[in-house]
Amino acid sequence: MSIQPTPGPPPYQEPDGERRPETPEEPPGGSPQRESRPPPTLRPARPRWQETLSLLAHNPTAAIASVVLLLIVVVAVFDDTFASEGANEISVTDRLQPPSWEHPFGTDDLGRDILSRVILGASVSLRVGFLAVGFALVVGTLIGLLAGYYGKRVDDVLMRFMDMLFAFPAVLLAIAVLAVRGPGSGNTALAIGIVYTPIFARVTRASVLGVREEVYVRASRSVGASDWRILTRHILPNAAPPIIVQTSISLAFAVLAEAALSFLGLGTQPPNPSWGLMLAEGRGFIELAWWLAFFPGMAIFLTVLCFNLLGDGLRDVLDPRQRTQMAGGSRAAGAAAAAETGGNA
Amino acid sequence: MFGLVHLVPGDPVRLALGTRFSQESYDALRERSGLDQPLVEQFFGWFGRALTGDLGVSFRSGETVTSQIAERLPATLTLAFASILVALLIAVPLGTVSALRPRSLVDRVATVISQFGISVPDFWMGIVLILVFAGTLGWLPSGGYVPLTEDPGAWLQRLLMPALVTGVVSGSVITRFVRSSVLEALGADHVRTAQAKGLGTRQVFTWHVLRNALLPLVTVTGVQLAYLLSGVVVVEIVFSWPGLGQLALQAVQARDYPVLQGAILLFALVFLVINLVVDLLYSAIDPRIRR
Repeated sequence: MSIQPTPGPPPYQEPDGERRPETPEEPPGGSPQRESRPPPTLRPARPRWQETLSLLAHNPTAAIASVVLLLIVVVAVFDDTFASEGANEISVTDRLQPPSWEHPFGTDDLGRDILSRVILGASVSLRVGFLAVGFALVVGTLIGLLAGYYGKRVDDVLMRFMDMLFAFPAVLLAIAVLAVRGPGSGNTALAIGIVYTPIFARVTRASVLGVREEVYVRASRSVGASDWRILTRHILPNAAPPIIVQTSISLAFAVLAEAALSFLGLGTQPPNPSWGLMLAEGRGFIELAWWLAFFPGMAIFLTVLCFNLLGDGLRDVLDPRQRTQMAGGSRAAGAAAAAETGGNA
Repeated sequence: MFGLVHLVPGDPVRLALGTRFSQESYDALRERSGLDQPLVEQFFGWFGRALTGDLGVSFRSGETVTSQIAERLPATLTLAFASILVALLIAVPLGTVSALRPRSLVDRVATVISQFGISVPDFWMGIVLILVFAGTLGWLPSGGYVPLTEDPGAWLQRLLMPALVTGVVSGSVITRFVRSSVLEALGADHVRTAQAKGLGTRQVFTWHVLRNALLPLVTVTGVQLAYLLSGVVVVEIVFSWPGLGQLALQAVQARDYPVLQGAILLFALVFLVINLVVDLLYSAIDPRIRR
């Protein structure tokens, strides 16, 4: 059988591999076959993304979490619209005002409106979170894919390196990266991304090992598909569910870590509002004005909780088998390690 | 690890000397601390001395690194073990109860509690506790550390809040593991056999379920303990707890290479020792592994 050159699809393609869930990880590039050939009577092994969504909608906690997250994201994206001009404006007459109609969350020691600062902080926290997880997702997934697919020496070299990173205490590793690169939002994202890369690599590798020897992979190899094609069209889509779950849980961790690092004075720098920084500033006034530290902390808690709940919901829908293995949200670093050590011991 | 520490920019000698110093004193200190040698030589020198228990001298305070670590160790050990105790006291009953009655009200409440503990920022919880118990109620001091040998009452008072904060966080993670491993053990064939041959519920539970559920529990507890011994910097800061995390943070800020290297070496050792202990416990619990 001769193989047509790309971009055309190979003459025969495993229906199983083609009708996989259109997860966000699946690379674009629609195949013309999708419309031209009716799906075979085989039921897809996993729900497609519409089904995933509808299943999620039937999970009340996950649905509520998604809605709240969506709200937070909208507020963060349009922060200029929602935040009043008082966010970075110092006003001596308005200092340390308790919550009121005018200032629902009160004002801080410089008279700045805390609600506005919490809103601006949302965009900082989420940006750092998404950047960090984006970095870990891309780098970690790539490493995991290569290690899992090629095995042997590639696997050894890549995963030993990942283990080395993993053995560092997470907070210290992030602090060390920030010490090297200097404080700031971008470097915070990089630091958190580096901390979480090994976890994505492990999750991806484990998942790839699970599908590497499936019939549809062997079939496409036998018709001469390239490694790249097999990896992107067959292995990645089928290995994606645990990675998606991990992404949601990692976002929770990243938001928490950004807050912790900013709290220590290593992350976002003043006068930019970041939830962790506001907590650190409010700490000194805790007995005088509780609202300074309370509301930013509440914001962190709510965001992290929603990402964790969404992650749990996604896991139930996408990957029921993993339920026992990967408990734990923000501290999933430890939990994932436990799952691993449990396997090795 | 050594390389990473030296990547930290900033000249430690300059920081140690302050703003006014002569070129001679700069060179002298640089030579004394061995920073004028090539990095590779510095590494092997440090490694050789570390093997004999000599971790060098802090650039900042001039004390030996071992004495600085030894000074901080009791506080860190106290907090870590107290937190693990709190965590297990929360996790084992909560996880077991919710596994025994899955999807019941108890299970739902337990899930909510553990979800809360996993998501709450520990430093914020610390601040809120300080506000309530130290501020409004005035029952407990807001922070600090008193050695047990000096004043047991004061020791306990100061330990309660930080241990509760870190314990709740670790406990929430452990709860989920306990729940899932008990659930799994409950569904195993040998449990059904034990029930079928007419053993009492209590007997089945202690000998057939709990023992099998213990393995994952030991693993997570080990991981959590390693985390507590190395990484509770933020909680230490909130409660002015003079632990190793604070020491490491200060070392990073002051470019105090010897202290930072010493601390990281210690964390790596802790990690190894805990893994070893976990493995030993494994074979003690599960005779199948011994073979």
